[in-house]
Amino acid sequence: MTTALLEVRNATRRFAGLVAVHDVSFTLQQGEILGLIGPNGAGKTTLISLVSGTLAPSEGEVLFQGETITAVPAYRRARLGIGRTFQIMRPFPGLSVLDNVAVGALFGRGGGQPKLAIAREQARACLDFVGLGRFVDQRADELGGPGRKRLELAKALAMQPKVLLCDEVMAGLNHVEIEEVIEVIRKVRAQGISVLVIEHVIKAIKSLSDRLLVLHHGEKIADGAPAAVLDNPTVVEAYLGKRRT
Amino acid sequence: MKPWHLAVAGVLLVGLAALPWFGSDTLVQFGINTLLLAVLAQGWNIIGGYTGYASFGNSVFYGLGSYGVAIAMVQWKLPFAAGLVFGVVLAIVFACSLGAAVLRLRGHYFAIATLALAQVMTAIVSNIPLAGQNVGLVLPPLNNDRLFYELALGLLVLATLTVLWLTKSRFGFGLIAIRENEEGAAVMGVNTTLYKVLAFALAGLFSALAGGIHAYWITFLDPESAFDISLNVKMIIMAVFGGPGTVLGPIVGAVSLSAVSEFLSSAVTNIAGLFFGIVIVAAVVLMPRGLADIVRNVHKTGWRYFMQNIRAHRL
Repeated sequence: MTTALLEVRNATRRFAGLVAVHDVSFTLQQGEILGLIGPNGAGKTTLISLVSGTLAPSEGEVLFQGETITAVPAYRRARLGIGRTFQIMRPFPGLSVLDNVAVGALFGRGGGQPKLAIAREQARACLDFVGLGRFVDQRADELGGPGRKRLELAKALAMQPKVLLCDEVMAGLNHVEIEEVIEVIRKVRAQGISVLVIEHVIKAIKSLSDRLLVLHHGEKIADGAPAAVLDNPTVVEAYLGKRRT
Repeated sequence: MKPWHLAVAGVLLVGLAALPWFGSDTLVQFGINTLLLAVLAQGWNIIGGYTGYASFGNSVFYGLGSYGVAIAMVQWKLPFAAGLVFGVVLAIVFACSLGAAVLRLRGHYFAIATLALAQVMTAIVSNIPLAGQNVGLVLPPLNNDRLFYELALGLLVLATLTVLWLTKSRFGFGLIAIRENEEGAAVMGVNTTLYKVLAFALAGLFSALAGGIHAYWITFLDPESAFDISLNVKMIIMAVFGGPGTVLGPIVGAVSLSAVSEFLSSAVTNIAGLFFGIVIVAAVVLMPRGLADIVRNVHKTGWRYFMQNIRAHRL
């Protein structure tokens, strides 16, 4: 077996007394779309933060391209090729939509593109890619909710990542918008980027993912093909509770 | 930047540079003071306006720059330029060593921590014999206001060009990203700690140079005046009045507020401070985002711009 692009080994993260993620291991293969689901508070966002480096694991290891990056700070992980979006959108409100994305191109993988003009061109391409091409000159805080979700995607894509970690990029969108975002993520994968998607919309993630990972109370309770995972009694119980007999 | 911008800037600059040859002594002295304040406001703009860290420690850099020149010239009999270099080195060492620590703090906590630095420096310097303890140092006088004026003007041009470069460079975008959202900046690959310390040091460089020029001009220096907190408050007010995070805002703020202050102290001598306070309060209430924001928005909203700001304050 070839080494996975991304691997998390026995990761645990405690916040004071609370164990947000407990002994979770998983891999992400080259070119794969991995769905990460679980009820509210299951530890999904914490797990993504352990990978992107905004949080450090209390125990366990994170490996990228076969090398441990557990002690590598967030900005250097970004330069290695790990891009993420935030569930609570974090645009740079005072900058234009274009310049928000240009920051990703200026830094990003391999240290980024030092020339502002070229970075802006790359940013424009990313905005076209996610369907925000018309809004380049607006201020980021003038965008609505769905626009900001796409902006988060464009910012991460401008970094030219090898792995894209999407934290609920579909939450709060309507059916049409969800379809459009799914289309974007498929196109991202077609470019050879591996994707880890956190999502609540089960239908959407079932069709999008190659594989599903389920977290519950910080522990991994299932990992496998989407259809099989969603039929798994433990997973059904986590979402709906125990069937009374 | 359009060609006519360059032309206007060029004409303005030549006019300003020629001022000491046709202006009165008082005007030249007012000019030196204002230009140095504008440099300080512009320096603060780098760390406070662009990086979003409201520093109350810039007066420490100013003080270190002053003492660098004073110690080098009085105690070691070195030339003025060597003193400036010494002061800049002190400021940058200070920014790098303490910046790494205090720049971990955000918002109010950063402001309070840097506020304390100035107090600490006053106490430390008052006990160093080399720095003249609390008696201070008297520098060899140089009666050449034209020279000081041109030095201050040159320094302001240098500081402004640096800020202009920020708006067009990767480094500047990194700083703005930190100001807007520090965690977001980090996951996009910005080395936030390094960038913040560099911005702090860059602000320190200009403040120290301004302090060095001022010390040689005034020819006297003691710890109280070198590490004066009210000077730091002044540079913040000027930068914010003009528009923080803009290239020309701090200059406009420094010039207009200096002029108002000068006018008031000649018109209503005793109660000038009171009126100056009223001007500041009115500015904060009516235009909290500075003059630059008015220029950008007032043509859209007209006088309602001010009403909106008043309402935003819930007055």
